[in-house]
Amino acid sequence: MSLLVFYLFAAIAVLAALGMVVLRNPVHSALSLALVFVSLAAMYVLLSAPFIAVAQVMIYAGAILILFVFVIMLLSPGTDQGVGALKAQRGLAILFGAALLVLLIAVLGGAVLPPTRGTFTPEAIAAEGDTQAVGALLFTNFLLPFEITSILLLVAIVGVIVLAKKRQSISKQ
Amino acid sequence: MPILVPDINLRIIAPALIVTVTAIVVLLGELVTPAERKRWLGYLSIAGLVVAAFAAFSLWGANASGFSGMVVADNFGLFLTLTIALSAALSILLSIPFIHAHEIDQGEYYVLLLASVAGMIVMATATDLIVIFLGLELLSLPLYILAAFQREDTRSLEAGIKYFLLGAFSSAFFLYGIALVFGATGTTNLAKIAASLAQSAGSPMLSIGVGLLMVGFAFKVALVPFHWWTPDVYDGAPTTVTAFMSVAVKAAAFGAFFRTFQFALPALALDWRAVAAVLAVLTMTLGNVAALLQSNVKRMLAYSSIAHAGYILIALVAMSANGLSSALFYLLAYTVTNLGAFGAVIALSDGARERLEIKDFAGAAREHPLVALALTICLLSLAGFPPFAGFVGKFLIFGAAVETGWAWLAVIGVLNSLVSVYFYLRPVVQMYMSEPAEGWSGIRVAPLVALALLIAVISVIALGVFPAPAIALAAGGLIR
Amino acid sequence: MINYLWLVPALPLAGAAINAIFSRKMPRWLVSVLGVGSVGLSFLVALAEFFTVLGAGAQGVFNVSIYSWIPVGNFKIDVAFLLDPLSALMLLGVTGVGFLIHVYSTGYMAEDESYGRFFTYLNLFVFSMLILVLGSNYLLMYVGWALVGLCSYLLISFWFTRPAAAAAGKKAFITTRIGDFGFGLGVILIFVTFGSLNFADVFARAPQMFQLGAPIITTITLLLFAGAVGKSAQLPLYVWLPDAMEGPTPVSALIHAATMVTAGVYMVARSHVLFSLAPFSSEVVAVIGAVTALFAATIALTQMDLKRVLAYSTISQLGYMFLGVGVAAYGAGIFHLMTHAFFKALLFLAAGSVMHAMNGVIDMRQLGGLRSKMRWTYITFFAAALAISGFPLFSGFFSKDEILAQAFESGHIILWAIGLLTAGLTAFYIFRAFFLTFHTQARWTEDEGRKTESRHSPSSVVGHPSFHPHESPASMTVPLAILAVLAVVAGFVGMPSVMGPNFLEGFFAPVFGEAAAAIPAGTEWMLIGASVAVGLIGIGVAYWFYIASPEIPVNLAAQFKGIYTLLWNKYYVDEFYSAVFVEPGRRLAMFLWQVIDVQVIDGFANGLGRAMASFSGALRGWQTGYARAYALLMLVGTVIVIGWLMLR
Repeated sequence: MSLLVFYLFAAIAVLAALGMVVLRNPVHSALSLALVFVSLAAMYVLLSAPFIAVAQVMIYAGAILILFVFVIMLLSPGTDQGVGALKAQRGLAILFGAALLVLLIAVLGGAVLPPTRGTFTPEAIAAEGDTQAVGALLFTNFLLPFEITSILLLVAIVGVIVLAKKRQSISKQ
Repeated sequence: MPILVPDINLRIIAPALIVTVTAIVVLLGELVTPAERKRWLGYLSIAGLVVAAFAAFSLWGANASGFSGMVVADNFGLFLTLTIALSAALSILLSIPFIHAHEIDQGEYYVLLLASVAGMIVMATATDLIVIFLGLELLSLPLYILAAFQREDTRSLEAGIKYFLLGAFSSAFFLYGIALVFGATGTTNLAKIAASLAQSAGSPMLSIGVGLLMVGFAFKVALVPFHWWTPDVYDGAPTTVTAFMSVAVKAAAFGAFFRTFQFALPALALDWRAVAAVLAVLTMTLGNVAALLQSNVKRMLAYSSIAHAGYILIALVAMSANGLSSALFYLLAYTVTNLGAFGAVIALSDGARERLEIKDFAGAAREHPLVALALTICLLSLAGFPPFAGFVGKFLIFGAAVETGWAWLAVIGVLNSLVSVYFYLRPVVQMYMSEPAEGWSGIRVAPLVALALLIAVISVIALGVFPAPAIALAAGGLIR
Repeated sequence: MINYLWLVPALPLAGAAINAIFSRKMPRWLVSVLGVGSVGLSFLVALAEFFTVLGAGAQGVFNVSIYSWIPVGNFKIDVAFLLDPLSALMLLGVTGVGFLIHVYSTGYMAEDESYGRFFTYLNLFVFSMLILVLGSNYLLMYVGWALVGLCSYLLISFWFTRPAAAAAGKKAFITTRIGDFGFGLGVILIFVTFGSLNFADVFARAPQMFQLGAPIITTITLLLFAGAVGKSAQLPLYVWLPDAMEGPTPVSALIHAATMVTAGVYMVARSHVLFSLAPFSSEVVAVIGAVTALFAATIALTQMDLKRVLAYSTISQLGYMFLGVGVAAYGAGIFHLMTHAFFKALLFLAAGSVMHAMNGVIDMRQLGGLRSKMRWTYITFFAAALAISGFPLFSGFFSKDEILAQAFESGHIILWAIGLLTAGLTAFYIFRAFFLTFHTQARWTEDEGRKTESRHSPSSVVGHPSFHPHESPASMTVPLAILAVLAVVAGFVGMPSVMGPNFLEGFFAPVFGEAAAAIPAGTEWMLIGASVAVGLIGIGVAYWFYIASPEIPVNLAAQFKGIYTLLWNKYYVDEFYSAVFVEPGRRLAMFLWQVIDVQVIDGFANGLGRAMASFSGALRGWQTGYARAYALLMLVGTVIVIGWLMLR
């Protein structure tokens, strides 16, 4: 049963991701992206991680995507007409993309995961509580990555400001 | 439930922490610093880097691991930390007059550069694939922005966007590789991966994961055929940023590359060594041959940096203690040499008007004999000409390859470094053997640039003539 | 004294460093004092070291470690100097001849605006050459090897405003690099084979590890010899040396005659343990040496540019040295290296003195009759010409004779014959140059108005130019005189056994072992007789063609007007000589020079460049600038990497 659900959402995720890249209208692309986020959230649920699923929906599908749509509407960039050059590019890209896919399927299709299972089995998570497990991990084992991520976000903000704000040297002129 | 307090040992991450704190202080300082005092933010950044370097030095030999085995302060990582801090400090010395001349002297420049340094240090000392990835992102993101820092210049913007797009593309491969390696071994910790592989044979899934990791690293250190972004980005980015990127990113990314492949994946060495050997040959050869035809110094140095990544990769293929220490020495030698070369190029520029075409250097020796001499020494060192740092570095790497039975790779390396002499000497020929072009009069070399140049050139000579202490330090930099 | 050995290279280095940084702010006399003084002091130290070695006799081998250079794991490379009879003699030659040429340069380059730069390069060169000679391991030798190449390149294109000079520098660099690659490979192979690069280790292990004729030793020695072929301008990599004459004449004398070009010979002699184990390689060395000697000598017959004659002559004489070391007569090869350094440096400096006097003209068709104008130059050139011709008791006589005798004695009769023929040609072309320059009628006119000016870059005068030739200043003539004395007497240190004691052979015993059994006196006298006869014939023929024939017309003018005009005109003499004497040879020489030299070898070098350029251009086609094209190429790379890893 859960396998069926997995394949359903997996298919939706892949198709929506393709749609996001292929569709020409930016709003359509953004909506496809929302679909990707939602299907990913469904998978997190399947993996007994409801907290992450909710966070995924709220933060990505909710906050970030809404921001995207806002920006698109404010800028109203119109429909991307595509760039003409490099005709050979498309064929080659499809060819090698397919090759990569074939390689991955060939390998991962028959892959056997190691028998040892991690600490966080569904039972363990159920006993501890999903939210608690994530929280505890973030502040113990994953403290350092967590902090690095926060610096990363700070840098992103600084970067956006640097690129977007008016320069003093320009305003002086 | 009880929360186990993790082994928070701030001392281990002190260098990265100090750099980060400096970045935040500079960020706040930017708000209160008047426009004409912006250079003080640069001095502050250098001070932070010096303190971080001292912290790294005080940790020498500590060999302590912390944060649930995510990061380690071993001599290997500390050597790289010192190299990175040196490269950042020299880059900032070059940057202070440069960004002033180009009217981009904002404090954020230093903030981003320091953040990138923090990412590099994290990457060089990380012992977990997730932390390596985060370090990679933390070093890359500021560089995307720094590449585009000259917003008025479309080529700079283009460089930033190109670097960002392709960087994200390669990050995806890298991340997928981590996922597959995790799937195959059940862990992202390098030591545990090694332990797991010591017991069980590899699987096809692991092979793909390793391949994707290699692609991710290959992109960052610019190995052929994942190097395409390099000439365009190096060319478009502000020259000081190019100088910084060309050396520091290599030090950090190669550090993680060696740590991952030589110490987590030795079980698969039979497979990846062959791939790496071929990549090394391609990288050296294409880098050098493409550099032959460049008429622009920045592009020439971009291809040269590709070629040097190829030489360093030989040390990884050797997969020995000597290989590792030779790579460390080479990275240090390359750092001072390349920064010296870029420093001289910056010194020869006329305010905001840069001289980047090789023919622009005509007659520089007559107007600026010392800068010309410095550039000549650095270019000769890049070419592996004795008795400069680059020669000793190449000797060590080729020696390590020969020792471990990869003599053919060393031979290709020697052939390549012979070819490289031709393009490295072209600016020299222009400087010494051409009538001066117009517009030389009245150019004054900024004191800070001169200082950076002096430090770089003295290091190049010292590392070439008296390399023993640095070699000893690098040999002490073995992992574990 | 051994403790001060480091001063020998350190002094010129200090001179170079100070001049490099401060020469623009210093007066010329100070630049000269630093440049000349540093090499002079270096010579004095070298002299003391030489006597230390001499005094130590059979124990005269010193290994002086300066400091540990590259200490890694098992292989430790020290900056260490090896002082033995071989390197001591080389030291003396490099610093001594170097000092004289430095002194000469103060006069020759006096008017040049890049005076400081010149002395910087020259001092740097001396330093590099000393490192090459003193290094006690192959890596240090390689360092010196590369640095002398760099200095040579810088000095050839010293007058870079002349396109020919810049092109010549480039050609020298490209050509010698091909040889350097071989040398580098040889060094790597030595390291792989012996696990060490120290001369002492390698030479101790080689005879224990390998039999005579072991393939690996043959490969190593052939690779090393490839380096020597490039550096010492042997077939087929000799092409750069004649062009290198575009550099200032003192440079031609120091680098392209006396020192750097002999580095190949030194290296082979230094590696004699390896070459002795590789009979095939030694044979190759001997054959290439002999063939080059003859080949270059025939080309020298047809050249009109005085410096080019000397350049081809240098190639030819280097061939002799290789013939010597190729037949295992290492001492003889080095002996000739030494005497050649004296007389060839002298020939070049005298030619430079002529250029100095003649406003840079060096074409012998515009010279002549300078004997009375330049007494010192004339006499010294004459002494050197006799020395190189192998005139009895002059230095070249002893050294050339020893090489030929050893070649003969070791059974290389054909190589001996080639060497003998070359000796005759040598005597002829050098005296042809001598007569055309100093005797015969002046082919220029006196110009009282141009007394002071002197330049060395060839002026563009055509036809019948006018000059005011004058003797060069003392700074130039004194070195000429000293070198002339050396060129005359230096041979007595290595006399053949029938004439006296061979001091040099005993001196070299700690390096090359005890001398071979003496050649029977009868054979020895026969060989000496043959050499002397051939040399005298060469001189005589030159005399006949360029001096004697102008007198014939005076007596016979009335009766044989046709013959008179034919013989009076030196052009006819040249053509007569060509048609009767060596027309086939000349054709061959011209063919070799024009087709092989200019087309095949130059063409190869240029073609290599073109191939590189087109390859590079093709690469540039991929560098489209489109991020998505790059992404695609990265994808391709990824698929290949992953596919490969999976399929293994």
